[in-house]
Amino acid sequence: MNLNTQFVFDGKLKRNLFIGMGLGVLCLVWSAVGDDEYHTRFWTNYLHNAVFFTGIAFTAMFFLAAQITAFAGWIVAVKRVWEALSQFMLVGLVLLLVIVVGVWGHLHHLYHWNTPGITDPANPVYDEIIAGKSGFLSPAFFTIGVLGFLGIWAFWAYKMRQNSLAQDQHETASFDYYKKERKWAASFLPLGGFLSTVFLWQLIMSIDPHWYSTMFAWYSTISLLLAGLALMVMVILYLQSKGYLEYVTREHLHDLGKYIFGISVFWMYLWFDQFMLIWYANVGEETIYFKERMENYPVLFWGNMLLNFVTPFLILMRNDTKRKVGTMFFVCLIVFFGHWWDFFYMIKPGARIAAHEAKELAEGKMTTHHEAAPINSDDHTTATTTDHAEGSVANDHADTGHGEAHGAGHESLSSFKAGFTIPGLQEIGVLIGFLSLFLFFFFRNLERAPLLPLKDPFLEESLHHSTGAYPEGEDGGHDH
Amino acid sequence: MAAVATKKVLYGLYTDEEDLKTAVKSAKDAHLDIMDVLTPFPVHGLDPVLGLSESRLHYLGFIYGAIGCLFGFGFMSWAVVSDWPIIFGGKPYWPIPSYIPITFEMTVLFSAWGMTITFYTICGMWPGVKPKILDNRITDDKFCIAFDVSESGKKDVDSLQAFFTKTGAAEVHEKEI
Repeated sequence: MNLNTQFVFDGKLKRNLFIGMGLGVLCLVWSAVGDDEYHTRFWTNYLHNAVFFTGIAFTAMFFLAAQITAFAGWIVAVKRVWEALSQFMLVGLVLLLVIVVGVWGHLHHLYHWNTPGITDPANPVYDEIIAGKSGFLSPAFFTIGVLGFLGIWAFWAYKMRQNSLAQDQHETASFDYYKKERKWAASFLPLGGFLSTVFLWQLIMSIDPHWYSTMFAWYSTISLLLAGLALMVMVILYLQSKGYLEYVTREHLHDLGKYIFGISVFWMYLWFDQFMLIWYANVGEETIYFKERMENYPVLFWGNMLLNFVTPFLILMRNDTKRKVGTMFFVCLIVFFGHWWDFFYMIKPGARIAAHEAKELAEGKMTTHHEAAPINSDDHTTATTTDHAEGSVANDHADTGHGEAHGAGHESLSSFKAGFTIPGLQEIGVLIGFLSLFLFFFFRNLERAPLLPLKDPFLEESLHHSTGAYPEGEDGGHDH
Repeated sequence: MAAVATKKVLYGLYTDEEDLKTAVKSAKDAHLDIMDVLTPFPVHGLDPVLGLSESRLHYLGFIYGAIGCLFGFGFMSWAVVSDWPIIFGGKPYWPIPSYIPITFEMTVLFSAWGMTITFYTICGMWPGVKPKILDNRITDDKFCIAFDVSESGKKDVDSLQAFFTKTGAAEVHEKEI
């Protein structure tokens, strides 16, 4: 077995990825044409995929840092793959810069808190709750939280990568580089853990600025981690089918499968935690979030659980399914798509409501509503938020006249709308485009270094890694 | 099982688990009938070498878990919906989300207890049973291969002795248990 291998990024693969990227651009343009006046579908598609793939790069880095901090040896055989995945954060910086520029220039209306004059009590669009949160939900802090934090992570990822490459140049296996790498890895853990919460609050949770959940950042980060693990397994299996990574055995695959199985259960746990606390407490401005989604987006809501929990749980429960190449690829495909779906569910309904509100504000319909609303902040919120749930009981008798005004000029928020209620063809095309972009940079980084860090002190341990579940040679090994 | 009849056992003690694995392999190659292998901790890769098939205990674990799941959910539903209906915190009579944590716990509890009890039953380890221990050191730092020599002639015992010497056992003893 040849350990000193180098990935060759051939022209055919490049061409395929460029075709994928072209398709993505085409679908983005397609979703921008024939969109509403805020280009909600275009911007949500962009935000969704930009956050999703940047997040995958971040979680790849986080996972790698956690493994290195924990003295894990098995990871060495696939370490270069992790490293290459994490380098996408630099591209993510550019992708998210577009969103930040959009916030400053009011190019999009993804974030309702960014409406001009929303914090000014004299202004008719004044929103007391958002004004109270304006220290956090402001363009300045948004820029720091998105670009600043991502920049810090990207720098750490770059330093880790440089250190790993420098290790290759060393003549013998040395612990010096390893010790240095551990310092970078261990210091990344708190940085990644704490800053990712703010990162995701700002980019995704603030689409629903009245709603607040302390579980949100955990749940969405775990979602990203699972998507990253699934993509990682698929990439490894692809590379193996091309004859690379011969030394990655089924033992490694088994361990990655265990991670996907276990973390899927953890994802469901966090999802349910968030749901049940809100369901049980039944506070108006929190419950509306789930009421809206359960009633108007049932396919997204229940499909989420089917794709991300039921499927990996039942399929990966058995020992042997984690070692079968075909089964693992199938499950990973579902889990990857499922977490993309999960982010779709987090972003689309909220952005649709934000655009709807913006339209009403622009037409001056909300103004009368606001004047009529009680000053008490709780009632005020309930009044504005029940506004989302068309046809809800509270709304019907609260202001019937208002409800009629909706019906006249606007499509109802509860109606089916492709690209919001379920992913449409444009969304799938954009996903393929961003995936191709991601994989392009991934393969570019992969080809720049040997596929196996031969000077890593844990190399031998990784090559002989065993889960002990099956005898060596039998049902093991790299041939499949 | 708690057998009444005593057995005559010949056993060798090894000081290293890798030696033990090699010895088990050569015993298998020589078609020696191993009665048991005892180690102070689980040795990776020993089961396949011994030719033990995969344990079926986890199938039972799944069944116990499913029973616990249905029992927990069913009991709560029966108690709160049909036997003594009460409205808690303005929730419906059948508040499914609030049952999920308890249902989960019941699943884990039934599966863990069920598997533990089954395992002890299979091994004949009831309360009050005096455990038959070949050598106290196998719970500390020694690895043991045991052969049942109750019905073996002197020639067989000698060949087993030779096997232990060849594979590097530190000590060889004979004991009736």
